[in-house]
Amino acid sequence: MNMQQSTVPSLAKGKRQARNKSHRGRLFQEASMLAPAVVLLTLFLIVPFILSFWTAMTNQPLVPRPTPLRFIWFTNFVRIFQDDLFWTALWNVSRFAFWILPVQCGLAFATALLLHQKIPFRNLLRGMFFLPAITSMVVVCVIWGTLFQYPTGPFNQILGFVSAGYIQPIDWLGDPEWAMFSIVLLSAWQAYGFQMIVYLAGLQGIPDELYDAARIDGANAFQRFWHVTMPGLRPTHVFVLVITTIQAFKLYTQVAILTQGGPKSSTETVVHYMVRAGFEEQKMGYASAVSVILFVIVLIIALVQRQLLRRFDV
Amino acid sequence: MSDIALSISRPNEKPVRSAAGALHTIQTVCILIVALVIVSPLFLLVVASLKDDRFQILADMGSFRAFWVSNPTLNNFKEVGHFSGELAFGRYLFNSLLILSITVCSGVIVNSMAGFVLAWGSVKGRATILSIVIALYVIPQESIIMPLVIMVSRAGMTDTFAVQIVPWIASPLYIFLFYQFFAQLPKELLEAAQMDGASIFRIYRSIFMPLSLPAVATVSILTGIETWNQYLWPILVTQTDYARPIAVAIATFFGQDSIYWDRAMAASVLMMIPILGLYLAFQRWFVSSFVGSAVKG
Repeated sequence: MNMQQSTVPSLAKGKRQARNKSHRGRLFQEASMLAPAVVLLTLFLIVPFILSFWTAMTNQPLVPRPTPLRFIWFTNFVRIFQDDLFWTALWNVSRFAFWILPVQCGLAFATALLLHQKIPFRNLLRGMFFLPAITSMVVVCVIWGTLFQYPTGPFNQILGFVSAGYIQPIDWLGDPEWAMFSIVLLSAWQAYGFQMIVYLAGLQGIPDELYDAARIDGANAFQRFWHVTMPGLRPTHVFVLVITTIQAFKLYTQVAILTQGGPKSSTETVVHYMVRAGFEEQKMGYASAVSVILFVIVLIIALVQRQLLRRFDV
Repeated sequence: MSDIALSISRPNEKPVRSAAGALHTIQTVCILIVALVIVSPLFLLVVASLKDDRFQILADMGSFRAFWVSNPTLNNFKEVGHFSGELAFGRYLFNSLLILSITVCSGVIVNSMAGFVLAWGSVKGRATILSIVIALYVIPQESIIMPLVIMVSRAGMTDTFAVQIVPWIASPLYIFLFYQFFAQLPKELLEAAQMDGASIFRIYRSIFMPLSLPAVATVSILTGIETWNQYLWPILVTQTDYARPIAVAIATFFGQDSIYWDRAMAASVLMMIPILGLYLAFQRWFVSSFVGSAVKG
């Protein structure tokens, strides 16, 4: 490319044309780099998303039937809102959210604070604390299924030992009073690792100068925690709380495997209700209506998060 | 306590350090205990999988024998490690590995290309596409799954590998993570390469991607865990052994009257190994790259 950079007009024009051509080539390349993602997102996210609103207003069955597909407006939604089981499911996931927020976020925050100290084997410990998060929920169910054994599982033995036999063995997964709480325990154990990582990132984001300044002003460890760490983590707290709440409303796998919504519908969840309606009762339209409701719930939570974050940013 | 009192009355270096040292030791021991408690269920799993008798496993669970196996055996693994028949966990594991590797590789390529163009391209409407991608992030998988099942069964894709891979390759979250990572790299990288006449794909492949190991590691681990743990989608779209992933196969243990805990434990250990390997391979870059991106997401 050692060509003479000439000032002859014709040559300059040729160069401009070449640049135009290469610009078009570049646009073409960019478009083809974007295309796979755009096509896949459209086909497998946008189209089914729009379809879910349409299907929710029809009597679409799972397998095609001779009866014609009818557009029935909001009948599915009305039926859902008239179904006690749906409200039970909604109440159950709310209960689940209410319990798992302190347990899971507390565990995540505590372990992140511990790991943020200068301690030996920090990387090893961080790996250990993250292990449950990479464990599949199915495997978690296998492990905790044995831990929850009634009446002689480890948890019951420990409780009996600690209370000197005073606490009677608990049927963790079989007692309607306890089943959802048991699901909370194993879910928190499985999922806190991600929130811990997010908290660790948040802690690393607080500048050391703030702590030094607080120290010079004579703040003790608790004051530094309360007036430097906590305000610095405010967006992190919002993020973690919102993610955990959304996760709670999508609760499905552990319930489907361990309790199938029972006993006495005490662990029925919105997603479990949706899957049952769609695949056991084969009412796809009805199930789609449930999925639209689920989306609206998640959307509301996400919008609340945005508002909160905006307020903190100011 | 006395150490601390001493250090206050006499401002000497040594006692202060020993007090802090004691505190430090206590702290370390505490963390170690917490870590052991947290990990103990996984340790139980591995130990139990080496026991031969499923009734013994349950009997041992109630005591400290749960943490110990006197005569370890690989019988359970032999029992479930077939490639055909009723306990074809070798096959299920292979299916899952195939799905995992294709999803992770193509996910990294597709999402990073999109993220790169959104960050540095000159195509019109990039800002619009970016805001659509961010908005799409709100849609949970659970709320599109019903129409998606109808779509793929109409297309005759039920019970294939493709149906478990293709729908989950492109992801708004990972496009955004890559976008964010690329956008923070210096503009001079792009300009210098353009001076040299490199094409935009070339710049992406030879300059920006090699610098993006943290983003690649993060997306690989997240995609990997997500794909490996998929449960709802595969139970809806697989009916036979042909493409059944290991998670679905393990869950079938729970449908039986008497659960074969020994086999379930062995199959679970099998399922842990590959994802643990993936995590260990990438974990060095995983945490650091989360710092900027996760919270703002």
